[in-house]
Amino acid sequence: MNAVQENNPRKLSWMRIRSIARRHYYVMLRSPHRLFDVTIWPLVDVVLFGSIGAFIAGNESAGAQAFGYLLGGVVLWHIIYQAQIAVSTGFLEETWSRNLLNIMITPVKEWEYVAGTALFGLVKLILGTGLVAVTALLLFSFDVTELGLGLIPIGAILLTVGWLIALFVIGFVLRFGSGAEALAWGIMFVVMPLSGVFYPVDALPDVIRPLALVLPTTYAFDAMRTLLDGEGLDWGTIGIATASTLVLTVAALMFLVKMLRTFRARGFISRYS
Amino acid sequence: MARGLVKDYKRTRAVDGIDIDVLKGERVGLLGPNGAGKTTTLMMLLGAISPEQGSIEICGHRLPGGRSEAMQRVGFSAGYMPLAERLKVSEFLRMYGELYGVVDVEARIETGLERFRILQLSEAMGTQLSSGQRTLVGIVKATLHRPRLLVLDEPTASLDPDVALRVRTGLRDLCQSEGTALLITSHNMVEIERLCERVIFLSRGRVIANDAPRAIASQFESDDLEGVFLHLAQIGADQPERAERRAQETDHSA
Repeated sequence: MNAVQENNPRKLSWMRIRSIARRHYYVMLRSPHRLFDVTIWPLVDVVLFGSIGAFIAGNESAGAQAFGYLLGGVVLWHIIYQAQIAVSTGFLEETWSRNLLNIMITPVKEWEYVAGTALFGLVKLILGTGLVAVTALLLFSFDVTELGLGLIPIGAILLTVGWLIALFVIGFVLRFGSGAEALAWGIMFVVMPLSGVFYPVDALPDVIRPLALVLPTTYAFDAMRTLLDGEGLDWGTIGIATASTLVLTVAALMFLVKMLRTFRARGFISRYS
Repeated sequence: MARGLVKDYKRTRAVDGIDIDVLKGERVGLLGPNGAGKTTTLMMLLGAISPEQGSIEICGHRLPGGRSEAMQRVGFSAGYMPLAERLKVSEFLRMYGELYGVVDVEARIETGLERFRILQLSEAMGTQLSSGQRTLVGIVKATLHRPRLLVLDEPTASLDPDVALRVRTGLRDLCQSEGTALLITSHNMVEIERLCERVIFLSRGRVIANDAPRAIASQFESDDLEGVFLHLAQIGADQPERAERRAQETDHSA
C-alpha cells in the first residue's frame, strides 16, 4: 500500500483542497476579527442602506433633501475618515516595516509621535477631502462651501473625533497585534451608519438609536443637515457634540496610556522586532 | 545602572534579579545561551519592556519617568532590525538624527558613514542593502547623537568576517574617541574577547559571572569564553539545579 495518495495530473485532489480550507479555518478560529466579514459588515450594510431607505420612504420632502444630505455627508465624512486613517496607518506603517522598536527607543514622546503623524495626516486630509468636495462641485454642482462658516466648528469636531478614533485603533493594535489592524478601516464603517452621516438618526432602527446618541459625530452631522436646510448653525447641537468629544478625548487618552503600559509590561515589542 | 531587574512572562521568569553597571567608556559584553534573558534585559534598559521589579537609571535619568531624557543618551542597534522601508539611507539617518535632536545632522551622517566606510550607500534605498550594509547603517543610526551608552544586540550576526572586523574597528574607535560606553550581546565569543574589557554571563535570567574575559575563562578553568559558554550551556541543559546553585553563589559573592 502506498504511503501517499497517487498524484493524478488530470484530477484535483480533495485532500489538498480540504487541507487549504482547513488552514483558513484554523486562522479564522484564532483571529476572531476575521469573522467581521460574515458578521459586522453585513449588519453595517443592512443598517446603512435600510436607514437611508427608511428616511426616504418616511418623509415626503426626503427626495429633495436626500441630494444635499448624501453629498454633504460624503464630503464631511471624509474629514473624519482621512483624519483617522492617516494617524492609524501612520502607526501601522511602523509595525509593517518593523520599525516600531527603532522609534520606541528614541527620545520621542508618545504625544510627539501622534502629533507628527497627525500633522502629516492634515496634508492628506486636505488633499482627500478637497478632491471629494471639488468632484461633488464639478459633477453634481454641489458646493459644500455654501454651508458657510458653520462648517468650521463641524469640521473641527469631525477632525478631532477622527484623531481620537485613531488613538483607539493604535491602542487595540498595541494590545492585540496585527490581528487588530482591520479596525483601522473597519471601525469607520461601523461609525458611519451609527452617526447618521446620510440621514437623521430617527431613521435608524429603535434598538440601535441609543448608540448613535452617545457619538459626537451624530450631532456634527445633525448640525450639517440643519445648515443644509437653511436653518443656520444649531449651537445647542454643536455644544452637545463638543461635550461628548471632550468625554471621548478623556476615554481615548486613558485607553491608549493603559494599552501602552500593557504593551511594555507584557513585552509585546517582540512581535515587531 | 540597573538593580534587581525581574521580568516574568506568563509562567516563565525570563530575568531574575539582574544587576548591571556600565562605566563611562567601558566596553561590556552580555553573554549567555539562548533564553538566558539577554534581549529582555536590553529591552528593559531601553524602556521598551517594563520590569516587574527593579530600577534602571541611565546617566542620572530613571526609567520609566525619565525615558525620553535617558534615551537621548543611548543608542541602540540590532542585527535583526530592518531599516524603515521606502526610505533612502540618508533619509533614514536624517529622521533619526532629528528624533535624537542632532543639530548638525548632515555632518554627523557623513562622519558616521565614513567611520564604517559606507559613505557610498548614502543615496541607496534601505531595501537594496545587504544584511551587512544594513547592520552598518543601523550602527551609524545608533551613534549619530554621540550617545553616552551604545547598546548593540547581535550586531555582527550573519556578517562576513571582513565586515565584522570593520564593525569592531569602528566601535573601538568610537568608544576611544568619544568616551562612549558599549553594552553588546553576541554569540561570537572571539568577537567579545577582542572587543570587550568586561563580560557579564547570564544563565536562566541570572548573572553567573561578571569579570574580564580572561578572568572568567580561568575562573571556569577554560582556555577561552567559548569553553565557558559550552560548559555553562551543558550545565544548564543537564543539571539545571547546578546552574541554579552557581547563580546563587555568584549572587552571594557579588
